[in-house]
Amino acid sequence: MISEEPYRWLEAIRNRREYIEDQMQGGLPVVAINGEPGILYLTTRATTPKIFEIYDHLALGCLGHPADLEKVRQAAIDAAHLEGFTRSQHDVTARRLVNYNLGPALKNAFEQIFAAPLMFRGILCELADQPANDAAWVIDYDGTYQSPRPEEFHRGLIVAGRKRSQQNWEQLKDKKGELLHDWPAMALSALRIAAWIRLLEKSEQHAEWNDTPEMLPDLLKIFPEGLEFSVLDRKLVATSQAYRTPASAELGLGG
Amino acid sequence: MDTRGNGTMPLATVRGDGDFIALLSQSGMWPTATQTGAVNAANPHTPEIVATTVLSFHYKDGVLIAGDRRATAGHTVVYDRADKVIDIDPYTIMAIAGTPATAFEMARVLQHSFQYYRRSQLQPLSLEAKVRALGKLLKDNLGMTLQGIGVVVPILAAMSPNSDPHLYFYDAMGAQFLAADFAVSGSGSPAVRSVLQYLNRWSGKPTTQRDERESIELALQLLDVAAESDTATGGIDRRSQIFPQVKLLTRDGMRTIDQETLVKILG
Repeated sequence: MISEEPYRWLEAIRNRREYIEDQMQGGLPVVAINGEPGILYLTTRATTPKIFEIYDHLALGCLGHPADLEKVRQAAIDAAHLEGFTRSQHDVTARRLVNYNLGPALKNAFEQIFAAPLMFRGILCELADQPANDAAWVIDYDGTYQSPRPEEFHRGLIVAGRKRSQQNWEQLKDKKGELLHDWPAMALSALRIAAWIRLLEKSEQHAEWNDTPEMLPDLLKIFPEGLEFSVLDRKLVATSQAYRTPASAELGLGG
Repeated sequence: MDTRGNGTMPLATVRGDGDFIALLSQSGMWPTATQTGAVNAANPHTPEIVATTVLSFHYKDGVLIAGDRRATAGHTVVYDRADKVIDIDPYTIMAIAGTPATAFEMARVLQHSFQYYRRSQLQPLSLEAKVRALGKLLKDNLGMTLQGIGVVVPILAAMSPNSDPHLYFYDAMGAQFLAADFAVSGSGSPAVRSVLQYLNRWSGKPTTQRDERESIELALQLLDVAAESDTATGGIDRRSQIFPQVKLLTRDGMRTIDQETLVKILG
């Protein structure tokens, strides 16, 4: 019956959402935090990388199915380079990339109910000349996106396999947002957030922020698999490659 | 660097018999000076040479690549601050002689395609592929070259990370050659070539034995020599504070020599 079609469609979308959320449950969280020296991405080491350079001053941290991450990453790189070549690198912005490319493409993929969905959740960051002008966009598999306020970016942004963890982090009052002034402080803060998420997911979403270890050795013990990290370095903002992967010692994470 | 876009290189006259350009010339298919609109005042039958001087040579620590700053249209100087030595990526420098519109576009294509490849494939393009990429652009530009409206004859200094840098020169059709000691291009280059040949063979101190300071000094002197004999080469203009571009590529990476250092070295 024609009159039933909208309900079938709604049900299909609901099922699709449940399926994707279920598939992404095991996704390891990615943290992005901005400070005076630039923007830091940090996540736990996995078999495939999750932090990527997109353009001169843009980077993407994401989780989901590796093949889908590749599709989104490639789409972002293609769009950014096309814009940068036909106009200039100053015309390549995270806002335009998300609003006019990634967002609509993800929404389209999500709503094509007869095709496989894209399992993707990510944070696209744009480095500027000063921290207040940095931008971050949290993007989801259904094409929804949001750009957090500067103080939220100073505090740390996350994408996690479990949506509930992400929401709990956003609602957590104990961790305040303040601009950090060096890489080690930013790395410690990002590591503590990642540790909190891990404890939260181990304890069925009941971990207290104040119970999360504060000292680096204790935090590192929580991640025996190691860490993956990269930065957008503000010192290199005027160059064509602000993205780099520093040595762990530079971030104060030991040799 | 001829901004009219008709700085046709007299390849047919400077190259040996038996190559493709010579064949075109013999068959009457190579555009004549009259067809291209580029006429050498001294000899109306000889097409005008690519107007510029860019040079490069190996020195003790790596390679040096330099260029004058003048852009001309026939006998008119249209710009005296042109940047003809262009960073393509942290391991590649291109020096251009020829039509700027085409040359700058080639540099832009290379910059973007190298970055795009590195970012999308998560590994840098190999040295061989970079060298070939420029050859391909030149080959694709053959139509413009034959029409005499877009000839480019560049030099490329490039290296793989943590290895020794190399110098390559090209012909206008895209053939690439590895330069063992030096490579030059542009209308002022014959003078520079002669001096470098002499220095390397007879001076007792070839460029490969010169340190950084001596090499920069030599590059500035060579461009000054080129400017003496070639009106299309800018040389050094202290009064207007216009100095050549000088860049170094060594195992430690790329470096641009700033104006202050050039002034100091010039004395």
